Amino acid sequence: MKIFTRRQLPLTIGLFLATLFVLFPLVSATEFSLRQPATSNYGFANYIWFFTAEDFGKYLGISLGLAVVSAIILLVILVPTVIWLNLGGARFRGLVEFVSLLPLVIPVVALAIGAQTALPDFAQTDEIILGFMFAVLAMPYAYRTLDTGLRAIPLQTIVEAARGLGANWLHTIFRVVIPVVRSTVASALFMTLALSLGEYTLTSLLHWDTFTTWVTTMSQSNILGAIALSMFSLIAVFGLLLIISIFIRPTKSNVVAEEN
Amino acid sequence: MTNQEVSSLNRKGASKWGTLTGRSARVAVALLPLLVFMGIFFFAPLTAVIWDSFQSNDGLFTLQNYADVFKEPIATAMRTSLGLALASAVVSAIPGAVLAFLIESRGSDRLRQLISSVAGVLANTGGVPLAFMFVAALGAAGSATGLFKLLGLDIYTAGFSLYTFWGLVLVYSYFQIPLMVIVFSPAIHGLRREWNEAAKTLGATGSQFWRHIGVPLLFPSFTSAFLLLFASAFSAYATARAMTNGTIALLPLMIGNLLDGNVIFDEVNLAKALAVAMVVVTLLAMVPYLIIQRRAERWQR
Repeated sequence: MKIFTRRQLPLTIGLFLATLFVLFPLVSATEFSLRQPATSNYGFANYIWFFTAEDFGKYLGISLGLAVVSAIILLVILVPTVIWLNLGGARFRGLVEFVSLLPLVIPVVALAIGAQTALPDFAQTDEIILGFMFAVLAMPYAYRTLDTGLRAIPLQTIVEAARGLGANWLHTIFRVVIPVVRSTVASALFMTLALSLGEYTLTSLLHWDTFTTWVTTMSQSNILGAIALSMFSLIAVFGLLLIISIFIRPTKSNVVAEEN
Repeated sequence: MTNQEVSSLNRKGASKWGTLTGRSARVAVALLPLLVFMGIFFFAPLTAVIWDSFQSNDGLFTLQNYADVFKEPIATAMRTSLGLALASAVVSAIPGAVLAFLIESRGSDRLRQLISSVAGVLANTGGVPLAFMFVAALGAAGSATGLFKLLGLDIYTAGFSLYTFWGLVLVYSYFQIPLMVIVFSPAIHGLRREWNEAAKTLGATGSQFWRHIGVPLLFPSFTSAFLLLFASAFSAYATARAMTNGTIALLPLMIGNLLDGNVIFDEVNLAKALAVAMVVVTLLAMVPYLIIQRRAERWQR
């Protein structure tokens, strides 16, 4: 057996400890969330409770709506710009990189204070503003994903072929380029969705109510329910992110094969 | 041929580029939406914070808001936040680097791919669900706490508490260690086997290789990854807020309390000066991180 060779032993120990570290809180919190103090046995009561809670659907709906808004904003703004960067706009790469990566370096708390004072009036009155702000927060990740994906394909050739065959620009982008990099676009999309669904800092500092703030509010009256809900959303987000990492791989290794 | 060359060739065959509304028009169409959007929702708020942080209550220029950063209780919050970021970076960077080294040097390709997917997922966990998971596991009534009790170890009478400085360090390491693995792995992967072989052929011992080649090559990447962990722990808000309910003295929580009116100070713009102070600290860590990353990319392929 290979794992028992001297060389592999440290790796095996390292992986064992890492697995333990990851699973230990996950498993113990799952145990906790299945407790039913009323009957002092185990069951899904806490999960059933939040699923049937009156506000569950409402807040989940708000969060999903905001996630979709931010994903659409990012796609509309970024996809054409990044395509253009990789065609003729290389001169402006530095500027675009600076603008889209900067949110990574600014603490969200600082942005929240600014948003309170400096946003236009229409943005202060409706929670849709959160969708715009989430788009700002997701911008660095979405930009990186899209740029890596578009660099990996022979974009120039594809665009020339489409244009040469008489497609106009909109056609070229929507019917040719986006389908070719659809796994990249999908992973940028999922990343934005995951980020928006879990966002708490901006939401709570700007005093809006979404799924995440509802969980914290609720935890004061029903901690078991809040923990069940947290486990549910952790696992949902794990699922979303795992889908991304599965999506990303084929683009990196072989685009042509994927395009059959 | 590079992109640039190809596109300049194309411009001679103008028909391929469609209606020639002019180069500047294309630039505008491609750049304006991004710049306008970020201008309104990112740069304007940021400018407002910086501007207001120099304003007194009467709207006059002042440095008083910044002077207050060094007064209690803000000075304590600043110190605790810096300490937490440092402790979290140390506690997470070392096991993360060891793990990355073991996986990159001894793991199979399949294992490396699996780890990179899993680490990518874990590094993005955070916020409220993470906080509640740890409360359920290691809180005073948590199930892991109970398990330790069954084994005869009452961790809470032994001095452990999740709702303290070191409790937060532990919780943060759940996303910080995977982050370290992600950021540091490419550096180890870039250490070429040939370099080790070349050194050996020239008569170097294993320890000489590490002392003169391996460690000097990895040191910049380690430092930059360390700075990233520092910045990420320093600016984290959601996890600390959900877990401690704002009771621990951290700078981001202090700003939140000021905004919510839970803490009252004479200067209305104090929170903005604190926010700018946070931005400055984060920039001091992130700018070297980005510069080192960019330089390291040159040999990491």
